[in-house]
Amino acid sequence: MIGRIAIALLAVAASTGLGRAADPRYPDWPCAQAKVPEISLAAVWAGPPLDDVQGKWKEDARITALVEKLAARRTSLDDAQKAITDFLAASAGDKTTAGKLLFTGLFDSLNAQRSSVMNGIERVTRKQREAAERIRADTLALQALQSAPSPDQSKIDELSNQLLWETRIFEDRQRVVRFVCEVPTTIDQRLFALGRTIQQEME
Amino acid sequence: MWRRYLLSGTVLWLAAAAPASAFMAYVSNEKGNTVSVIDTDSWTVTKTIKVGQRPRGIEFSRDGKFVMVAVGDDDTIQVIDAKKQEVVDTLPSGPDPELFAQDAAGKVMYVANENDNTVTVIDLEKRARIGDVQVGVEPEGMTISPDGKILINTSETTNMAHFIDTSTRQIVANVLVDARPRFAEFKHDGSELWISSEIGGTVSIIDPVKHVVTGKVTFSIPGLRSEAIQPVGIGMTKDDKTAFVALGPANRVAVVDAVSHKVTKYLLVGQRVWHMAFTPDEKYLLVTNGVSNDVSVIDVAAQKVIKTIQVGELPWGVTIAQP
Repeated sequence: MIGRIAIALLAVAASTGLGRAADPRYPDWPCAQAKVPEISLAAVWAGPPLDDVQGKWKEDARITALVEKLAARRTSLDDAQKAITDFLAASAGDKTTAGKLLFTGLFDSLNAQRSSVMNGIERVTRKQREAAERIRADTLALQALQSAPSPDQSKIDELSNQLLWETRIFEDRQRVVRFVCEVPTTIDQRLFALGRTIQQEME
Repeated sequence: MWRRYLLSGTVLWLAAAAPASAFMAYVSNEKGNTVSVIDTDSWTVTKTIKVGQRPRGIEFSRDGKFVMVAVGDDDTIQVIDAKKQEVVDTLPSGPDPELFAQDAAGKVMYVANENDNTVTVIDLEKRARIGDVQVGVEPEGMTISPDGKILINTSETTNMAHFIDTSTRQIVANVLVDARPRFAEFKHDGSELWISSEIGGTVSIIDPVKHVVTGKVTFSIPGLRSEAIQPVGIGMTKDDKTAFVALGPANRVAVVDAVSHKVTKYLLVGQRVWHMAFTPDEKYLLVTNGVSNDVSVIDVAAQKVIKTIQVGELPWGVTIAQP
């Protein structure tokens, strides 16, 4: 019974992402959304060039504090946009520089956040592949035990139990991956929306 | 004298108020499970219609009376009455319908069912299923040749465009394109078939008679990673001279010279631009931006984005009634 469940499960896993990477460049990427390893500046920023302020946002304590607040997903988008408006209104003297610094800070921070989520997703895929191998091996071992001339019931029970846990963890992780696949997009969305607010306030 | 002023004033006022080109655009919102109706005169959302789960492919019936929308998670196609602006009926598709195409007369509809590797054939007058065609794994893009003889269906997994004879419903040719083909579009004169590949990052140009790839449109945007360039929706002007290609998370629409197959311009739109539709006068092109949850309006002649309209969650497809 357990063996049958495990085999069915593996069939499902094989057909839904695990082992079937759509993009040959990223064999460990399990999501339906095609992988874009990092956000390009040109995709999210149509404002003035940022070359002259690259990396400088970290030197300004007010900017670093604000970037940290705005990049955190617990800050609602509405609150974040209001904070940008307030901050840029207060930097009337040099709104353009302040806006550019703030955006480079957000770009660096959110891109880093996004990379770490994507690395995590790929790590889980590799773990799942190993788990699938283990389940396959244990299933075969269980079948061998069951078909032995004098089956050892205690060993069968032990291995069945182990298989049950392995498959449960496997299934849970599959569900989580599907959910986590949405996170990089949520970060893209946030960066774009905040960038748009900064550009509007700078104009 | 006064009266004349008054009269001419009224005439002016009337002329200004009378919409020069009021069309209704219907946008499917994949996550919002709604359809947004946009008035192309005021460029505002005038109505939000509740539909089934995961609406994607959306198209007006040829007579302009109905809007059909594939609601994948409900395994059906819903029919919206354009006058009442509400769902009035359903059509029998297979499981997980994504995109569909109608013949020129608007009598037969072909639906790509992502989950069971079939294309369902529906009689639109009887609203009944009349057959199935077995196609490649995960059918996606669908279009019919201008003469109605060939149905094109792209398969996401095998990276092929299948040519299906609409009279025999048999596959007559398969053409290999780049990774994850998404959308197929014929030139109006039938001389070329364009197929976008989301992961391959190209649009393949196919000779529909010889069934061979004769050219490719490639894209390159300074400062943008190549992975972000994911071609999906294609729009071709009626004179077959200019094509627009939506590039997904590049957040741009490419303007392509359809004769030389070279990109002439990239227009910055919203996030993850997906599908598009022209207004019938071809003055404007509406594109859906799935991640920024809006629709960008492009002035076709000026090749400029003139407006952004917020719609529902994850806008996917758009359709505008042809007069």
